Amino acid sequence: MTTLKIDQVLRTFPVRHGHLPTRALEPIDLSVANNDFVTILGPSGCGKSTLLRIVAGLDRPTSGRVILDGQEVTGPGADRGMVFQSYTLFPWLTVRENIAFGLRERGVREADRDKIADGFVHRIGLSGFENHWPKQLSGGMQQRTAIARALANDPKILLLDEPFGALDNQTRVLMQEMLLGIWERDQKTVLFVTHDIEEAIFLGSRVIVMSARPGRIKAEIAVDLPHPRSYKIKTTPEFIGLKERLVEEIRAESLKVAADA
Amino acid sequence: MRPLHPLTSKQRAAYGLAFFVLFVALWASATFGGYVSKTFLASPLTMVQEGWDLLTKYGFLFDIGMTIWRVVGGFALAAIVAVPLGILMGAYKPIEALLEPFVSFARYLPASAFIPLLILWAGIGELQKLLVIFIGSVFQIILMVTVTVGNTRRDLVEAAYTLGARDGGIIGRVLLPSAAPEIAEILRLVLGWAWTYVIVAELIGSSSGIGHMITDSQALLNTGQIIFGIIVIGLIGLVSDFLFKAFNAWLFPWKLA
Repeated sequence: MTTLKIDQVLRTFPVRHGHLPTRALEPIDLSVANNDFVTILGPSGCGKSTLLRIVAGLDRPTSGRVILDGQEVTGPGADRGMVFQSYTLFPWLTVRENIAFGLRERGVREADRDKIADGFVHRIGLSGFENHWPKQLSGGMQQRTAIARALANDPKILLLDEPFGALDNQTRVLMQEMLLGIWERDQKTVLFVTHDIEEAIFLGSRVIVMSARPGRIKAEIAVDLPHPRSYKIKTTPEFIGLKERLVEEIRAESLKVAADA
Repeated sequence: MRPLHPLTSKQRAAYGLAFFVLFVALWASATFGGYVSKTFLASPLTMVQEGWDLLTKYGFLFDIGMTIWRVVGGFALAAIVAVPLGILMGAYKPIEALLEPFVSFARYLPASAFIPLLILWAGIGELQKLLVIFIGSVFQIILMVTVTVGNTRRDLVEAAYTLGARDGGIIGRVLLPSAAPEIAEILRLVLGWAWTYVIVAELIGSSSGIGHMITDSQALLNTGQIIFGIIVIGLIGLVSDFLFKAFNAWLFPWKLA
């Protein structure tokens, strides 16, 4: 049973000459229950990525703390798998070796690593590409491999930072379905950051809407759409109703950002 | 010709060869045409004749062998010291802060100026030659490797941390493989510079090597031999560069894929 508690997390970026300190995050409270799929939606620059990086342990909160299963997060670790927006596969490793990277760091034997990695290669639909280098893959294939690499480690929670943000629209929709399929089958606690409203609804059980800088939680909307979900759900009245609501919430924030700029 | 328009590999080779032909033609017309005195510049034919004599009568192959061994020896010593040190400096900022200013200073000390000192300390034997090349190469390699390792993509390092890598894993399985192709390129570059140092080292206080042959020929005003020696150096450089490149391509296929 995994529970993630974000407890009064606040992040201020220190003074850079000539500028006042920036408040990236107002104190944030958020709980994520076992096998929950929570999407964090916000305009660019709202600190949603900062929040995710703090959960990952790649950034430290100025005050407050992140607790995963009763343990305070003090740095990055294999229990929190992360998928980044940029392509972060290791270019010198093949698809199979990339997926097995975390297992190797943990000292899993080579035969076992390959078995686990090949299982994931199959599940992300990249059979036949095991021995390809990242350079030989499309953006969508690279991100699928990155998701498999994080999942192969069997983390308690999967953190995704706009993983499909750089992909074209068609590929993005396919990737969303693939990710949701994996989640529906295997169950995993997921925290997914995005600025795409449809993506946030389609994937999430809950959508957390963040305000423009300084970032704080503005609204929390439950998505009571049944599983398994297919792309067809995007045209149902329930989906469109949720979308309308979120468009209003986000629009207010985007206007604030535009006025500040 | 259009900007950045590519060439086929055949065209590329033809253009490259054409300039060599042009160069020799200019040289031949200057010497055979009598525009330059034979005392100062030998003709291509004289050069080839002198070169043949050097190889068959004067044991020039032994000199070539000596020079190659000095370059490779001094360069290998420098690489063995500099590459690990550069990796440590690139990875750990306190070590970089400690050593970088000194290495930057030492890099500007001309290796050739150390020759008198090195003769005093190490005599005129092989050790002194190796040390000249070592001094000329080691600081350059350290600095360039430091920069390369320090420039490793941060997102790859972060990804490795979130996959459970610890500091040792970050260095051994991210910084090192990420920097390796560039380090190989640095070594290829510095090996070229090492050739300059070895000849300088052999010009002074040496009894063998290509540089020694060149000083000897100067005393005899044999410009044909001097030019032949210089061309041999150029050819060896070309071949070693080619081998290095091929080796790097074989070592890092992911870079070219």
